[in-house]
Amino acid sequence: MAQSLDLIREEALKKISDCKNTDEINEVRNTYLSKKSELMSLMSTLGSLTPDERKEFGMKLNQTKSQISEALNAKQEELATVELNKKLASEEIDISLPGRNFSRGGKNPFYIIEDEITDIFLGMGFSVASGPEIETDLFNFELLNIPKDHPARDMQDTFYINDNTLLRTHTSPVQAHTMQESKGEPIRIICPGKTYRRDDDDATHSHQFAQIEGLVIDKGINIGHLKATLELFAKKMFGEKREIRLRSSYFPFTEPSVEVDITCANCGGKGCSMCKGTGYIEILGGGMVHPNVLKMNGYDPEVYSGFAFGIGIERVAILRYGIDDIRKFYQNDVRFIEQFKKA
Amino acid sequence: MLISLNELKKYVDISNLTAEEIANGLTFAGVEVEEVSSFASGTNLVIGEILECEKHPDSDHLHILKVNLGQKFGVEQIVCGAPNARKGLKVIVARVGSKLPDGEIKKGVIRGVESNGMCCSLLELGVDSKYLTEQQTKGIEELNPNAPVGEENVLEYLNLDDTVLNLKVLANRPDLLSLYNVAKEVGAIFDRNVSIPSKEIPSSFTTKVVNKSETDRCSQFAIREVRNIKIKSSPKWLSSVLSSSGIRSINNVVDIGNYVMLLTGQPLHMYDLDKLPKNELCAKDDFVGEFVALDDKSYRVIKNDIVISSNNIPMCLGGVMGSKASEVDANTKNVVIESASFDGASIRHTSNRLGLASESSQRFVKGINKYQSNDVLNLATQLLIELAGAHEISDIKNWEKSIYNQQVVSSSYEKINDRLGTAFTNEQIKNVLTRLNFEVEEKGDKIDVLVPKYRLDIDGSADLSEEVIRLLGYENVHSVLPRLDTKVGALTISQTRKRIVQNLLLDNGLDECVTYSLISKKEADKFNLLNNEDKYQILNPLTDDHEIFRTHILHSLLKVASYNVNRQNKNLALFEISNMMSKQSRNNHLAIVLLGKDGNRDLLETIPYDFYHMKGLVESIFNSIGIENSRYKFSRISNCNKELHPGKSAEIVFQNQVIGKFGEVHPSIYNEYDLGKTNCVVLEMNLDPIFDAKVSVNKMNPISKFPTVERDLAVILDKNVLSSDLIKAIKVSSKGLAKDAKVFDVYSGNNISENKKSIAIKIIFGNDEKTLVDKEINDAMDNIKFDLAKLFKTELRS
Repeated sequence: MAQSLDLIREEALKKISDCKNTDEINEVRNTYLSKKSELMSLMSTLGSLTPDERKEFGMKLNQTKSQISEALNAKQEELATVELNKKLASEEIDISLPGRNFSRGGKNPFYIIEDEITDIFLGMGFSVASGPEIETDLFNFELLNIPKDHPARDMQDTFYINDNTLLRTHTSPVQAHTMQESKGEPIRIICPGKTYRRDDDDATHSHQFAQIEGLVIDKGINIGHLKATLELFAKKMFGEKREIRLRSSYFPFTEPSVEVDITCANCGGKGCSMCKGTGYIEILGGGMVHPNVLKMNGYDPEVYSGFAFGIGIERVAILRYGIDDIRKFYQNDVRFIEQFKKA
Repeated sequence: MLISLNELKKYVDISNLTAEEIANGLTFAGVEVEEVSSFASGTNLVIGEILECEKHPDSDHLHILKVNLGQKFGVEQIVCGAPNARKGLKVIVARVGSKLPDGEIKKGVIRGVESNGMCCSLLELGVDSKYLTEQQTKGIEELNPNAPVGEENVLEYLNLDDTVLNLKVLANRPDLLSLYNVAKEVGAIFDRNVSIPSKEIPSSFTTKVVNKSETDRCSQFAIREVRNIKIKSSPKWLSSVLSSSGIRSINNVVDIGNYVMLLTGQPLHMYDLDKLPKNELCAKDDFVGEFVALDDKSYRVIKNDIVISSNNIPMCLGGVMGSKASEVDANTKNVVIESASFDGASIRHTSNRLGLASESSQRFVKGINKYQSNDVLNLATQLLIELAGAHEISDIKNWEKSIYNQQVVSSSYEKINDRLGTAFTNEQIKNVLTRLNFEVEEKGDKIDVLVPKYRLDIDGSADLSEEVIRLLGYENVHSVLPRLDTKVGALTISQTRKRIVQNLLLDNGLDECVTYSLISKKEADKFNLLNNEDKYQILNPLTDDHEIFRTHILHSLLKVASYNVNRQNKNLALFEISNMMSKQSRNNHLAIVLLGKDGNRDLLETIPYDFYHMKGLVESIFNSIGIENSRYKFSRISNCNKELHPGKSAEIVFQNQVIGKFGEVHPSIYNEYDLGKTNCVVLEMNLDPIFDAKVSVNKMNPISKFPTVERDLAVILDKNVLSSDLIKAIKVSSKGLAKDAKVFDVYSGNNISENKKSIAIKIIFGNDEKTLVDKEINDAMDNIKFDLAKLFKTELRS
């Protein structure tokens, strides 16, 4: 009897290993483990055995049954894995097709620069002021030490609404507005905004452009403070390796006035075609607020001093991104704008 | 201002300084040199004489020349195409190997004839044509018959070995429109010796000409009579100097006037004395009438133009242009020289109005030194004696309105350093100021600084700081960040909200644009959905395209869409936030254009943009600011529907005012903007009301512990019933059990009769205190069905 168990087991294990799919497994399971199977029918013979024989044969019988059952389960799992893999393989997709789009839109570099410069100065404790784009002669010129018929008015060809009203030619009128509103208190502001000059549009000129004005007024402010502030700005904006230099210049509302140059990004200051061999590129103008401007706007120049500067937004963008034509900002070709998606 | 270095070095020691060093020094001191250029250049040049000139057998314009180049180089054969080549002419020859601005001269064979060099025009040596006569530009340069054959320093011989600096003279330094003052500036920058000649020319008689001014616009008016002059052409040195400075040579007397102006900055005018109707020259500003000027044209003179009249007849438009009537011509014998000071503003108005701007008027506009007339007239007289043979010189008569007080600026060394953030010693500062011809008087801690007469830009201590630092250099300024009170640098609420909206739209894939504020008159009313206020109009526009300050963005943004569509960019999502200004208001507007398809997966899954895209964006904007949807609503637009599709548009109502309009554009618009066959949804919105809106602080709502139950309901009802009304009714009739209800299908068409639609709604039931039992939900559903049937005449859909 024990020998027949061995035979049954051998036969079953062989059949199991030959199974090719789940159906065949079930068939084998039916053949060997169902109630009507040969193995199960041997169960009924147990009662006719002596207790010792019963114990020995019963053990062997159970052992055989569980060996077959285990082998069936193992084979079934094996086949299931194969089948699953086959199914998964058939489900392969083209991973090169485009993904569902959650990307940002393009941001005209005009705004990238405006926001970035603003953030640099916010970090230095500046607030952001604003003023009207349509200004009075008083704020655009007179309160900035540019009286009527001052030759400096020729430097800025102006769009007029009437004798007294005009499109601001720079963001500097916001200096005067802020001083008048601050009533003698210290000031630390920037003001980004659009400005207008009567220029024909071409690759380097635009009748509309934008500036960021900066103004600091406090006790004991000097040129060294301006220089350090702009140095910090230049390094944040253009990179830690960049240096600035100041050149004497003239604006009616600052005294002394300076043009600020930055070492050329292209050559690092050695001189190249981009910087016309000078190693430097002009980026902004500034200076110490003219005592007349302080006086006219309610500050005692004997007590307070201040510095001011103006940065051209498009100019910075042009330098940073190598943009070759200022009109590109205003054309808004999406193939241009969408090159600037970085948040 | 063009500065000839040959001329400059007569007045300041610039030995051992290169042109670049001088240019650099000036630039850093605030006098920007825009260009350094050689006036002319060329190597291997020699003066030759044409010995023979024969026609080239194989050409109708070439000549074969035998040119004597002197002992050293002998006679060379040169083929020359110039029409003025002829036997006996002395010429400039560029020998083989010569490097000229346009290239190198090589030995050659021209139509079978050997040619060893080139006879040159000044153009070929790099002289700008504006300094040359027409004749000079058409042929080779004809040298003086006495020119030394074989001379190799040709440029020097011709006074062409010059370098020219182009100075950008800024509005604060009109004094630098004078070579003398540039010499002083260079002397100060490089600490070099300056010598400005000054010579008194004695008078031999007293002039009978009476000079005076009857207007404040002429505050000083000096004259001198100079007799017995001979008009002829200027000597070569004078015409060269003028050329280098950008002025054409006319004749000796006119050239002297211009030369003196270049040197001193003082414009002069010369009258033919014998043509004056009366021995009188009087400055007036009340003449009205016609004026025939030197250019033979007639100009209308109005009140406030400065006129110099003689016997009430205008002889000169002061500082702008002389009259034909008193013109110095070839027969002029006696002249009156005028050295006057005219009000810059008046000259500016007159020259702008008449379109007559000149070297003279420019100097008056920017400001001149009115205290040098004596020196100026003496210099002019001296030159008239030397170059025009003048003899019999009158006295100088100067009419002056007031007596001059030299300007004194009070300051201190400390104050100067304080403004700069520097620690220059007293000696350093004093030295700089002295080099610049200021006189420093020390008075204890203070200094009194006497300003040189020609410096019109110095009137305070701050100006002195600038003088010091521009010479000592900004590299001496220590960078120190200011120590200021700690302050939070933060955006205001509305600035922050602007960024929120900007980022929201960017994050949703819209491209941010910037367009011009100035638009044409026609455009001012196109697609202007919101603002009908009075617009600002430009008085002096450059073109019709930029004449009105806009009060809306959409038109400009649709033009951007059109621009892109025409470049095959056909699916667009664009926005712009910009400041609008009318005579009544100033607002931040937002405009959006959605065009074509929302290509979420490129072309694989595309959804044509429609009304609901835009509505979703608007809702997101309100959400992102923190404004609940109960605070605003969308209504149908009652009027203004020539731009938008009347059935697919809405206005945004917030705080009881319409703050925006949006929707699909009207079918007629596609052609107008050349948008192609596509669909386009637009929005214009005033953002200020939501930038300024009060927003309450978020408080957490507890989340219910009890489960919710969903039931679906489909009803058929009239097409024009709004789904929002249906949902409102469901919530009401459920007596608070329906926590939410959402439309999940809208259908009309087959099996639904016309004017009807089917709406399927998912209703979410729940209670925060307990689990609802079936009966409660069933009762609520029955209620809802009953109420909807009553309110909207709905039928249930099976």
